[in-house]
Amino acid sequence: MPKLRMTGRGLWITLLIVPPMAFVALFIVYPILLAFAYAFFDWQGLRRGDFVWLENFHTVLFVEPYRSWTLNAFKNNVIVFFALMVLQNGLGFLLAYALWREMPGARFHRIAVFLPVVLSTIIVAYLFKLFYHPLFGVINISLRSIGMGWLAQPWLGQGNTALWGLIAAQAWHMVGFPTLVFLAGMQRIPGEILDAVRMETESEWVKITKIVWPLVAPSATIVFTLLFVGAFNWFELPYIMAGLDGSPFGSTDVLGLYFYRTAFGNVSAGQQDFGLGSALAVLIFIFIAIFATTLTIRLRRREIQL
Amino acid sequence: MAQLSLRNIRKSFKSVQVLHGIDLDINEREFVVFVGPSGCGKSTLLRLIAGLDPITEGEFHLNGRLMNGVAPSRRGIAMVFQSYALYPHMDVYENMAFGARLMGLTPQEVEARIAEAARMLQLTPLLKRRPRELSGGQRQRVAIGRALVRKPDLFLLDEPLSNLDAALRSEVRLEIARLHQQLGATMIYVTHDQVEAMTLADRIVVMNQGRIEQVGSPRELYERPANTFVATFIGSPRMTLIPVTHAGEQLTLEGAGSVAPGQLPASPDGRLTLGVRPDALAITRATDGDEGFAASVIYTEYLGDNAYVYARLGDGTQVSVRTGPDVQFAADEAVTVSVRPGGAHFFSAEDGKRLVA
Ligand SMILES: Nc1ncnc2c1ncn2[C@@H]1O[C@H](COP(=O)(O)OP(=O)(O)OP(=O)(O)O)[C@@H](O)[C@H]1O
Ligand SMILES: [Mg+2]
Repeated sequence: MPKLRMTGRGLWITLLIVPPMAFVALFIVYPILLAFAYAFFDWQGLRRGDFVWLENFHTVLFVEPYRSWTLNAFKNNVIVFFALMVLQNGLGFLLAYALWREMPGARFHRIAVFLPVVLSTIIVAYLFKLFYHPLFGVINISLRSIGMGWLAQPWLGQGNTALWGLIAAQAWHMVGFPTLVFLAGMQRIPGEILDAVRMETESEWVKITKIVWPLVAPSATIVFTLLFVGAFNWFELPYIMAGLDGSPFGSTDVLGLYFYRTAFGNVSAGQQDFGLGSALAVLIFIFIAIFATTLTIRLRRREIQL
Repeated sequence: MAQLSLRNIRKSFKSVQVLHGIDLDINEREFVVFVGPSGCGKSTLLRLIAGLDPITEGEFHLNGRLMNGVAPSRRGIAMVFQSYALYPHMDVYENMAFGARLMGLTPQEVEARIAEAARMLQLTPLLKRRPRELSGGQRQRVAIGRALVRKPDLFLLDEPLSNLDAALRSEVRLEIARLHQQLGATMIYVTHDQVEAMTLADRIVVMNQGRIEQVGSPRELYERPANTFVATFIGSPRMTLIPVTHAGEQLTLEGAGSVAPGQLPASPDGRLTLGVRPDALAITRATDGDEGFAASVIYTEYLGDNAYVYARLGDGTQVSVRTGPDVQFAADEAVTVSVRPGGAHFFSAEDGKRLVA
């Protein structure tokens, strides 16, 4: 009898586990392996050519103009990562702290802060494109109307502001996510611990840096790691707002766009190269995997059991 | 050392009023215990004194300075919380050093104070441990140590022993009493355990439903309770309250006989509440013509050196009587309960206030 029940149970487990596992294998593991394999071949369009060992990797890393393109896109990703670290996670932490301490209007703001997160990237991207419009954009119009018209400029049309324009849009879109995660972390801190700190200091700075921040470390691990992965996989928002070339002049080019362009070609230049694209994809994947793992392990170490 | 004065303190959360005008003076070096049933506002009052919650109405002076609106960290008060509230990411040393450093002490001074506190509380071998790696009693001592290193004028302790087992509780209780003697600081201690209150306090503040019922030394509260609430709250088993009518020297309980416990207070309509503690009652097997109340035994609680007999009076009132350990009564046995001379308390039948004979 117990044996029969076990098989029934086992059957259930199998039924529940096999479909998702198959799904993951088919749509995630298989493509990754395929990209690995593709990266070692020479490609003529969609036709596979010779096995060329590491030549594709060598090309994207060391042969001009790919070398400059790779470096430029990577540099931009690094900027995006650090900028979002401050704008999105830093701001998210402060917002969470304000919401947690029940500053006036906390209930309304809790919703307001999280609302953009549920918007689709397409909407956010078009919205901000409109905001940044040189003539009709709300930003330039506002600047002119308060007599600061000299500050009005084509935000997305010039190399030194375009990337920051995208970063601001991204930060606005996603700031609610770290806020929510940090807020959940803060709500786990027992109230009496906060009271105990209040008996010893009234400095918000000390409370934040010495007590709250160390105690929300588990939230920080999640948020940092996800931001890292997101920043180096960044694609949709720059694609919609700046186009596949990372215009103007590659100033908003990031690895995601660059990889897509290389592998599948773009409208202006029809050339496409699966081999180089796959090599790029593999490099990005390895980079993210190694860094994300190290980051997680190191952050885990400073986590504290409440 | 600190001297406190609370004047007509009220506290409301939104529209609910929790404290209804508290007046209280606490002297230097005094050990004051707040007791009262759950939800009566003890913690709330303590938090107002600490400054953790704002005072809705009334004035609180500490050493002559008005404290309303002063930040908790600037009041020279240290608090020990029920859950200990140790910082989980700091070791014992850091837990104690954190507040001391924030006071602007030199590193040498911080070091010296921690060494002293650790020695007093036997924490020296534990200084490098995290709170998670400590037992409940050890955590409690760290929480006290953390308060100690700040050398505050006033210690507030909110049910500091309630998370400890019985044996540890009496041990730490002793430690706190010793600390109070050694430090000479003012201490306010919240508990709903009357044994803690009786053993520790110089003065006890009995609270009920956001009001102070009585303030006094343990002996005063026990011997001269101001009303029926205090009378039944202090002492275990509880004092029995018997509604009686009053004629001449005799107090009569409807359908159960009468007693003559000596001098009686005046009562306008001849009604009184008679209060007697278990040790002021005597119990005998019923015989005709007895002086006393007729009762029937419910059960006997044997405690080794003595015993308590619980019995039901004619009108249904339950009394507890302390007897020697050898008495034996069967359940439902008819008995006579009499009051020992001088052992009776009298309260007004209307408002429960104490009446003096
Ligand atoms: N933050 C709050 N908001 C609303 N009501 C509160 C708040 N804190 C306490 N109260 C109410 O105030 C009353 C007194 O609470 P308090 O915590 O002071 O009781 P207590 O005497 O400490 O009880 P216990 O012995 O159970 O700790 C309770 O009725 C409680 O519901
Ligand atoms: Mg309480």
